[in-house]
Amino acid sequence: MQKSDFKKINDWLWEVEKTERMNVPARIYVSEKMLDKVFKDRSVEQLINTASLPGIINYSMAMPDIHEGYGFPIGGVAAMDSENGVISPGGVGYDINCGMKLLKSELSEKDISPYLDKLALEMQKEVPSGLGKGRQTKLSIDNLDKILKYGAKRLVEQGYGEDEDIKNCESNGFIEQADPLAVFEHAKNRGRDQVGTLGSGNHFLEVQKVDEILDQEIAQKFGLFKNQVVVMIHTGSRGLGHQIATDYIQVMMKAMPKYDINLPDRELACVPFKSKEGQRYFSAMSAGANYAWANRQMIAHYIRKAWKEILGEKTKLIAIYDVAHNIAKLEKYKVYGKEMELVVHRKGATRAFPEQPVLIPGSMGTASYVLVGTEQGKDAWYSTCHGAGRTMSRSAATRSLSGQEIINQLKAKGILVKCYSMRGIAEEAPQAYKNIDEVVEVVHQAGLSKKVARLVPLAVIKGE
Amino acid sequence: MDKEYKILEHPSDVRVQAFGKTKEELFLNAMKGMNEVLKPKILDKKSENRKIKVKSVDLNALLVDFLSEVLYRIQTNKEVYNEVRFTKFSDTELEGELIGNKVESFGEDIKAVTYHGLKIIQGKKGLYKATVLFDV
Repeated sequence: MQKSDFKKINDWLWEVEKTERMNVPARIYVSEKMLDKVFKDRSVEQLINTASLPGIINYSMAMPDIHEGYGFPIGGVAAMDSENGVISPGGVGYDINCGMKLLKSELSEKDISPYLDKLALEMQKEVPSGLGKGRQTKLSIDNLDKILKYGAKRLVEQGYGEDEDIKNCESNGFIEQADPLAVFEHAKNRGRDQVGTLGSGNHFLEVQKVDEILDQEIAQKFGLFKNQVVVMIHTGSRGLGHQIATDYIQVMMKAMPKYDINLPDRELACVPFKSKEGQRYFSAMSAGANYAWANRQMIAHYIRKAWKEILGEKTKLIAIYDVAHNIAKLEKYKVYGKEMELVVHRKGATRAFPEQPVLIPGSMGTASYVLVGTEQGKDAWYSTCHGAGRTMSRSAATRSLSGQEIINQLKAKGILVKCYSMRGIAEEAPQAYKNIDEVVEVVHQAGLSKKVARLVPLAVIKGE
Repeated sequence: MDKEYKILEHPSDVRVQAFGKTKEELFLNAMKGMNEVLKPKILDKKSENRKIKVKSVDLNALLVDFLSEVLYRIQTNKEVYNEVRFTKFSDTELEGELIGNKVESFGEDIKAVTYHGLKIIQGKKGLYKATVLFDV
């Protein structure tokens, strides 16, 4: 595949026409400058493969942070007709409901700077991060099942948050169709002591400040002001979600022959949404998603505890929003003149309903963004990017960069880093990622979501 | 000594290329490659034994499903296994015993074993080769 295979729709949107083996055309939201770079890996081939999925509607799409995943490219969006289309775990990802939560304070940078180091340390102490690090208590299966069924709502009912947390959360913090019985024992065993844990890799907590307001009216609506201190959480469903994905990919691979589905890539394993296996996967995936919302809710609870400890009882952290970027949702759209229910897969892509806050993390030490969803985003099933996307492999990053040097570079910019592992820092170095400003510029110009505020980190807390 | 496995580049995850004179040896070396990705810190020398049983649609899936099951044991038991003794091994089914040690901590996390680009091939000299992608 090369650039000449792409037709320019406008400055921010390119299309590959439907060929025999595709059911629909493929589209990428990207600038011309970035388009030259997307051929470095197999992401375009994956986007084309996705277009061959049964029941796919309109286009297989990719966001400007597109990079190679398995099956779907990361940054991939595809909606299938729920009646006769498929559901595919590869279109969700292994980390089900990996996503973002943003909390706002009433404080500004100068209020917090004398306490920043103590605050970061306290947050690191309260929220276990790093591999295999769970909490002290293992949930009973009964308790875990309630979390799988009711997600963040269950935690708020138990006193781990406010009603506002649920109101300002995608799907009010839980998907109704979740069924704990569809989650196998392996997954439950991995999830019992991980609610309220961060995990590792590119997951993080950040204390940030609002660096620039880019849309005064919407920023005011969201309660954001310049130099305001906010807290961003990036994590997902931990071992439980990964195991659900693993288990159901296995189930689907065994089931696919009976549905006569043949695909160019094994990782696109899928079954009809209405089939027994499809329904069970959706119920299990929803349970995994609920677990992730509960996880972020619990983390928010412990962050609030840390803040009260260091800054006093009166400090408040209020949820702006919580949104997934690895998930499949049932949504209704008018297609071909009639209302259809679609299974919208967003893998490394964020839902962006009109007026909804959109939270986009940068790579470590770089900017993050708050955007807002638009009506125009309907063309992409109200979806937008999710972050920067990697450009360098983890091993290349650890070979060419030193964790300590990166910490020093960030310190020179006034950013504190709390992390147990130097190698983890090197792997997640900003140099290993695309430029977040460029990615966000594309979705802004393409009208998928509009910039509201630019955030920069004050302190980064990471797992190993 | 013959090469057991190699760690390869990938933009966002980790790939292990494993080798074996037999299919069983390929599976063992893929497991050893996975261990290297995890970078475990062994707790003590006491031997831990775990029974394992896996059924799959074909040999390629069997390798991934075997590694997934081993990964599950690694994470829930906090152990790592450097040996496997197969009592049963066909293209769609295996049974055996994992032998290893308790682990104090891991240096890296593996979220899942994927089927991405997986194909077990047998070279001219009869050497089996396969590349497995791990989501980290």
